[in-house]
Amino acid sequence: MINNAYLPLSLTLIIALPLVASALVLLIPTRWKSIKGLVSFTVALVTLLISILIYRNNFSFSFPWIGFGLDISLRLYPFSAFIVTAAQGFAVLVSLFSIKFMEGREHEGQFYSYLLITLGLTSGAVLADNLLLLLFFWEGLLLVLFGMIAVGGKEAFRSATKAFIINGVTDLCMMSGILLAGYLAHTFIISKMNLPATGLGALAFVLIMIGAISKSGSMPFHTWIPDAALAAPLPFMAFVPGAIEKLIGIYFLTRITLDIFKLSAGSTLSVLLMWIGGLTLLFAVMMALIQKNYKRLLSYHAISQVGYMILGVGTAVPIGIIGGLFHMINNAIYKSGLFLTAGSVEKQTGTTSLEELGGLGRKMPITFICFLITALSISGVWPFNGFFSKEYIYDAAIGKGLIFYVMAALGSFFTAASFLKLGHAAFLGKLQERNQKIKESSVSMLIPMIVLAAFCIFFGLYNSVAVKIFEPIVQASYTGKETHFIFNISPMLAAITGIILALAVLNHLLGVKLGKDGLHASDHIRNAPIISWIYTKAEKRWFDPYEIAMKLLKVFSAILLWIDRRVNWISDVFMVKVSYSIGSAIRRVHLANYPVYLIWGILGFAAVTLFLIH
Amino acid sequence: MSNQVVLLLAIFIPVAGAFLLPLAGAINIRLRNTLSLIFVVSSFILNLLLIPGAIAGKILTITQALPFGFNFSFTADALAVFMACVSSLISSIIVFYSFGYISHYEYQSEYYLMVTLFLGSMIGLVYSANLILLYIFWEITALCSWRLIGFFREKQYVLKADKAFLMTFFGAISMLVGFILIAFKAGSFELSVIKEAFRNNPIPGLIVALILAGILSKSATLPFQTWLPDAGVAPSPVTALLHAAVLVKIGVYVYARLFVATIDIPYIWHTIVPFIAGVSALVAAGCAIVEIDLKRIIAYSTISQIGFIFLGLSLNVQIGLVGGLLYILMHGLSKAGLFLCAGIVEQNTKTKDITKMGGLIQTMPFTAVAFLFCAFSVMGIPPFGGFFSKYMVFNSAVNNGNLWITSIFLVGAFMTIIYLFRVFNMVFMGSPNSPLVKEGSKTMVFSVMSLAILSFFAGILIYYPFTFANVAMAGFIR
Repeated sequence: MINNAYLPLSLTLIIALPLVASALVLLIPTRWKSIKGLVSFTVALVTLLISILIYRNNFSFSFPWIGFGLDISLRLYPFSAFIVTAAQGFAVLVSLFSIKFMEGREHEGQFYSYLLITLGLTSGAVLADNLLLLLFFWEGLLLVLFGMIAVGGKEAFRSATKAFIINGVTDLCMMSGILLAGYLAHTFIISKMNLPATGLGALAFVLIMIGAISKSGSMPFHTWIPDAALAAPLPFMAFVPGAIEKLIGIYFLTRITLDIFKLSAGSTLSVLLMWIGGLTLLFAVMMALIQKNYKRLLSYHAISQVGYMILGVGTAVPIGIIGGLFHMINNAIYKSGLFLTAGSVEKQTGTTSLEELGGLGRKMPITFICFLITALSISGVWPFNGFFSKEYIYDAAIGKGLIFYVMAALGSFFTAASFLKLGHAAFLGKLQERNQKIKESSVSMLIPMIVLAAFCIFFGLYNSVAVKIFEPIVQASYTGKETHFIFNISPMLAAITGIILALAVLNHLLGVKLGKDGLHASDHIRNAPIISWIYTKAEKRWFDPYEIAMKLLKVFSAILLWIDRRVNWISDVFMVKVSYSIGSAIRRVHLANYPVYLIWGILGFAAVTLFLIH
Repeated sequence: MSNQVVLLLAIFIPVAGAFLLPLAGAINIRLRNTLSLIFVVSSFILNLLLIPGAIAGKILTITQALPFGFNFSFTADALAVFMACVSSLISSIIVFYSFGYISHYEYQSEYYLMVTLFLGSMIGLVYSANLILLYIFWEITALCSWRLIGFFREKQYVLKADKAFLMTFFGAISMLVGFILIAFKAGSFELSVIKEAFRNNPIPGLIVALILAGILSKSATLPFQTWLPDAGVAPSPVTALLHAAVLVKIGVYVYARLFVATIDIPYIWHTIVPFIAGVSALVAAGCAIVEIDLKRIIAYSTISQIGFIFLGLSLNVQIGLVGGLLYILMHGLSKAGLFLCAGIVEQNTKTKDITKMGGLIQTMPFTAVAFLFCAFSVMGIPPFGGFFSKYMVFNSAVNNGNLWITSIFLVGAFMTIIYLFRVFNMVFMGSPNSPLVKEGSKTMVFSVMSLAILSFFAGILIYYPFTFANVAMAGFIR
């Protein structure tokens, strides 16, 4: 606890310090670029400490900015405090990891600068108690999103553009939704908003929801993530799609379903969200299963896991929402950790292509152990953290319809299968010739991984501690019928989970037998009839909504250009023709004949006289 | 110096000074260039001096009665001062940029004469309080633009200049008829008299349509939009001037001056104008996505963005009026930046075909970054200024409750992001399709960087332009 007088300053510092520091990082001359990472690490650490100091405060303050509803109002309460602290924690770990990882890369300084801006804007968006202010920070993230991907290499700008366009378009949808919500509520103050999700309210909800789920990387707005996985620098993947975007995307989704709109269980919008979640988790994990690149495989899981969160939050019952939020933080921890293990492998071997990996477990034992813990967590194995959050979500899903549970359970099966394949292909099996001389990563890269792995165990063993974080948040806002807030893991569902995991292991053994090694352990699914056709088309991007939309847009634009050219024809061709023909018609009556002119004159005079008399 | 004198000097320094420039050019080229900049910058500074009075709500008027109601009268209210400041600020940067750009070409004295006169007549138009005076300045800008678009004197270019002149001229004639009809009803060409005459009494739709034809043709809005992309044959600083500071902005300014600040228009026009603007914004955005000529793409982008300005100004919602006015500022800064960047690229690569460019960020990093910043502002990404104007305009559309118009503009805004990125990527990123060329001269790079930075700070320090625009648009909602 600290003195209340310092709270406004602390909140401002949390947002402003990283933003100011980012400019400083850019200004540090290239000669001293080695300290850029250190600056980023220190600043993130300082903001983390501030957040921890003020964590237990409930506080909001408002400061007029430009009016028309856009004021600087910030609110610290358990939910926003938790998200901000978590984001800062990830920034600290990723900065530490990057110091060694980014060493010697081009645009190293820019990367840290963007990382800090991301941190500052994220904190701003989470702390904002004004929807327009939130929009300001939220849309600002687009700039750094583009920059962080683009520094990955010469061709990375293509993925960066895709990411920018997808998020830019959905952010505009969110902007319209926010404006509509503000219009309906007559205020933009989040804590004062309370709208029914029907009629125009439903439209506003859907528009805002598009922005929130798109930020978290859900289908159908996900396709930039796998592309960025290969193009962007790895710490970006660990930090942004791995952690930050899940945190703020799901944070905001929860805010709109719980606070701004009161989404009731079983309503159309709730069912819509559950379907989006269910389909996302299933399709994305199917794609993850067949990937042959460490980073790309993880990126599909980054999409798939978000499906669980949306499914959980979408159920609109306490156990589902709490499960979704718990899964959000669990996923951020293990997904970030997994990406960092990929970074560790990339740094030491120079590749993340699974074809060139194998047998790394002996050479990089600590990385391997961290991978093992995080992979067990994501697969939902007891007693790691992922198990508990998934069980909550299963419990909520089955209450809303068997189909949702089946999708979630199938998703778990494939998740486990793909991590068995990944671990087998990368860390077990035969060590390749090119990797004979590799060593374990340096300490500064290992520490972040170890910390994250430790959290996976901690949140698993002390899962009730974690649930206690979210319980009061949901309880404070929840207005539905269900009132009991004590949850137990259903023994039956847990047993089914166990069976599913066992089946996944059996499937893996079968796959290894058929495919000869770990890398090809999923080939029997990949090549199954019908599914193989879908997979082939998916790999050709037939189902990429971005590609489809771009093609449609080309056609649409061609039509618009045609309209423009028709209008141009009127001025450039038609009008010219008209004036020529009028000219030649007039010339025809000019016969250079005096009597004719005289008659014209008399007729004209008569017409004028008639008009005047009239 | 009394404010009256400041106002007159702000107009007549560039107007009269312009004619000194060819003389100065005969003596010394440097002298002429410096004088041109001094005239434009002093007009800007004088306009700045008018701000305190304007914000305080004092309306400054100068009237000198002349026969037949052709009064010589100027008014400086907040709306006029805002517009004049925006135009003269951007023009100053463009004139500075011209030192680098135009030094490669012939007929420089004519260029500086026309550019300075152009700005001067724009300032005169902005402050005009009499419809005839306004019309005179309007046509002077048309003449200047005609000469400047055809600056390179090739047959094709001159034809495009003729097209621009004729289209805006026909519009202006229609507008003049509208003015005369107004004067018949009100008994005067004076705006203050007209305002009283039409208080609580909308003018007939026919007059609105006649005047709107003039406004739309000047602001290059559907169906009179096609001259603007064709005008891309002009030197790049001229296109920047046309799109960002003067000419195109004249149309929207006169709309604000007449139909927002002075007279009531029948209610139906609060739907018709946004609809025309929406279709125009959409069609132009579509063209920008498929075009391959760098300057035509940016020109279509202007047509599209003008639609957003009209949307804000035409909905009869306070936040929309403020947003529309801020949009003029933000769009002016960033669009001038885009054209000046395009000028650097086009002058050094000797082509305007974006399929023949690529990878230029390697050799011209400053231009690339400036271009990207300005593009972000046009897209409306915070913290750039464009974000604020865009959200305000959308806010007014939502408040107005017309979902169809809002959706049309939403699609337009999506397309804005897409075409600007397409241009940026094809010009600056990827692998080069032709040998890389060097960065532009220091003068030119400084100009584009300052526009990019201004776009940034216009967003960070939004409070100041916002307050100004809010005062300028106060009390016009009916």
